[in-house]
Amino acid sequence: MVGSAKLASQEKKKNLGQRVKKYWGFYIMFLPVLAFVIVFHYLPMLGIRYAFTQYKLIKAPTFVGFAQFQKLFGMPNFWNAFKNTIELSVIKLLLTTFLSVVISLLLNEMISIKGKKLAQTIIYLPHFLSWVVTASVFQLILAPTSVGLVNTILIKLGVVNEGIYFLGKSEWWRFSYYLINIWHDTGWGTIIFMATLTGIDPGTYEAASIDGAGRWQKMWYITLPALANTIITVLILNLAKIMNLFESVFVLQNDAVMETSQVLQTYVYYQTFNSGAVPDYGYTTAIGLFRSVVGMALMLACNAASHKVRGRGIM
Amino acid sequence: MKKLLALMMVLAMCMTLVSVPVASAADDLPDQISIYIDGTVVTAENGRDLFEARWEELAEQKFGKKIDLVITQPDHDGYFDALQQAFADPATWPDVCIMPTTYYSAYAAEGALWDMTEAWENSQTKNSGRFHGDNTIEMLKIDGKLYGFSPAIGNGSVTYIKKAWMDAVGITEAPTNWEEYTAMLDKFVNDDPDGDGQADTYGLSAAGFIGPEAPYVNYLPEFYWDAFPSFYQDDEGVWHDGFTEPAMEGALARLNEGYTKKWLDPTTLTNGTSDVRNKFYDDTLGVFTYWAAKWATNLKTNLESNGHDGELIPIPPLAEALPYFDRMPPAWCITEAADNPQGVFDVFIDTMLDGGDFQLLWTYGVQGWHWDTKAETVLGQTFEEGQFHMLENPNSPGTLYPANHIDPVLSLADFADPSYDHRADVVQPESIASEELFQANSRAAQLVPTTEAMSEYNADLTTLKNTLIANVTMGELTYAEAMEKFEKDGGAEKSKAIVDSLNALEK
Repeated sequence: MVGSAKLASQEKKKNLGQRVKKYWGFYIMFLPVLAFVIVFHYLPMLGIRYAFTQYKLIKAPTFVGFAQFQKLFGMPNFWNAFKNTIELSVIKLLLTTFLSVVISLLLNEMISIKGKKLAQTIIYLPHFLSWVVTASVFQLILAPTSVGLVNTILIKLGVVNEGIYFLGKSEWWRFSYYLINIWHDTGWGTIIFMATLTGIDPGTYEAASIDGAGRWQKMWYITLPALANTIITVLILNLAKIMNLFESVFVLQNDAVMETSQVLQTYVYYQTFNSGAVPDYGYTTAIGLFRSVVGMALMLACNAASHKVRGRGIM
Repeated sequence: MKKLLALMMVLAMCMTLVSVPVASAADDLPDQISIYIDGTVVTAENGRDLFEARWEELAEQKFGKKIDLVITQPDHDGYFDALQQAFADPATWPDVCIMPTTYYSAYAAEGALWDMTEAWENSQTKNSGRFHGDNTIEMLKIDGKLYGFSPAIGNGSVTYIKKAWMDAVGITEAPTNWEEYTAMLDKFVNDDPDGDGQADTYGLSAAGFIGPEAPYVNYLPEFYWDAFPSFYQDDEGVWHDGFTEPAMEGALARLNEGYTKKWLDPTTLTNGTSDVRNKFYDDTLGVFTYWAAKWATNLKTNLESNGHDGELIPIPPLAEALPYFDRMPPAWCITEAADNPQGVFDVFIDTMLDGGDFQLLWTYGVQGWHWDTKAETVLGQTFEEGQFHMLENPNSPGTLYPANHIDPVLSLADFADPSYDHRADVVQPESIASEELFQANSRAAQLVPTTEAMSEYNADLTTLKNTLIANVTMGELTYAEAMEKFEKDGGAEKSKAIVDSLNALEK
């Protein structure tokens, strides 16, 4: 172990030229990835400068300093969208992560391999449906008319007298949104946890059994600690993306629930296409930049918290 | 001397007359015209190359010069995004583009579009005696200036009622006022008009309680009457926000009544346009306000293919309501990037409705590919030699090619030679009937100019208005509560700022 660390340290001391010469094959394989990252991730960042301009595409951008941010922070709808973004994203993230872990644990307990594979396939499938299709399906299932499956069942059971407009009433919209997201994303989220569970040494379970541990104790003392790192990693990585909420909200929102469903990305959309004027891309870029900064801050904070509590983060 | 002078004057007059060009001198014309078009013009899969070749051939015949037509045609759904991208770099501005209605005034206000007022006044199309679209041209004027041209009216929606449903509930005459209309809707909801023994029918539906773009109220005109929830200019030239006016209170009360009594489909809020069409086809709805002209035939055909009676009655607006809205059409605009805008106008815009071969090309497409007159059998229909008929749609096998860019029913100019007019050959009677009814009962939608205040506030304001309309309709808020919220959330302030900015423009 010490020897290999020493070797790695020696390798690092070699200059880049020597390393490229020695590992030229690896560097060539790395080139496409590097090109991809530069072209699709770093070059677009040059667009950040438009956040400090007024830019209506037709005319050259004019530098306005922080005026776009001042305008942004003065808009009550912006803060409402910001609040909704955080609430919807965080609750959705916690729910889907928690349920992914639970389902992974349940799948892990399944003895029949065929049954396990079948269950996995069924729960992965929704992820492959586009959000547009998902929204259409759930609009039918949750419709307040006789075509709505859920309301038909509720009425037949005597729970309600009249169908509930799940997607049309503010008080029901978020509940429905989380439910649909759980259906769509939870299965896919189990993949990483299942991979971690597969990597746990079976000998550990055997040893625990010999020591008299039951199923619950094995799960509590072996499985969950083994999953902890993965859970933290998944949470931190997903936290970086929570400000990107758009498609799932856009396809499910409607005029009646805008106050509870408007998020930053949909706010940008409506600012761009609903003003009846040539959109100011400076303003919408400022919103985008704000989103990115908040997303990065959240991720760094979570990483720092992980360092403090567990002694290590993922960065 | 006097005779000589008279002779010279006559000669001079003759020279003047002769010098009015049938076509501009070839030297004054562009060598190339770049155009940005959406999917309303024949697409690449449907033979656009043939269209382009035919257009160039006709241009060479007419102007004695080879003019290269360079076409860019992004995907129809992403058209405006692509056009915006093209406008982002002055080097990529096209000479001509189709400008969507929503952005026409905004791009004109930004100075991106060439003022074609004078060119239009002197154009052959306007002075041909065949043009009958002055209202549409007036609609496209901003502050008296014309920045775009349309060869067809924008068209609009009329209300269709299922004849079979009327018969089933014992109604013999189509409704003419609110009382008769609501009595009919009530029967459509409660009297089992589809005869399946279940209470599963509704009067009508729409894709939301308010449309996403101007003229906003065109899919529920029987409920809105004279209310208009956006900006409009009165006869004195003063701008108002109709949302803040008393007419809106009445409209919201009617919408709320319609929603409560299930005249309106309970899922109206979340319906898309295709959902509404499908519900109409599967006999869930008895009334549908939708496009006039060819959609009358489409609705009929789809009902019949679903095993239902296809007879529809298009009705004039109710006695209490204002005429239907004639939507502003997308406009063909010449951009400020065109080196020779007058030449581009003469060659491209002024030929579109030439009453001859150009107009034929823009209306029906290319002979031998989209239409023909030779004896043959197309999709089971046999045609004699010389009989005009459309050919099978290359992009949609099993159907006939419908038309090129200009819908023959909506065209703003007649053909010079009546034998070129093939409307009777390709348009079904119900389409013509619905369009005639629409044109007899419609008014032009107003073009709202763009201002800085609009750019700043209108997106937020529209979102707020739409939310309040939905909330009052569904009984979540009363009208008074909605207006209180409108005030509290800054709607009144934003509305006033926009109205003031519009009125300042007029001064």
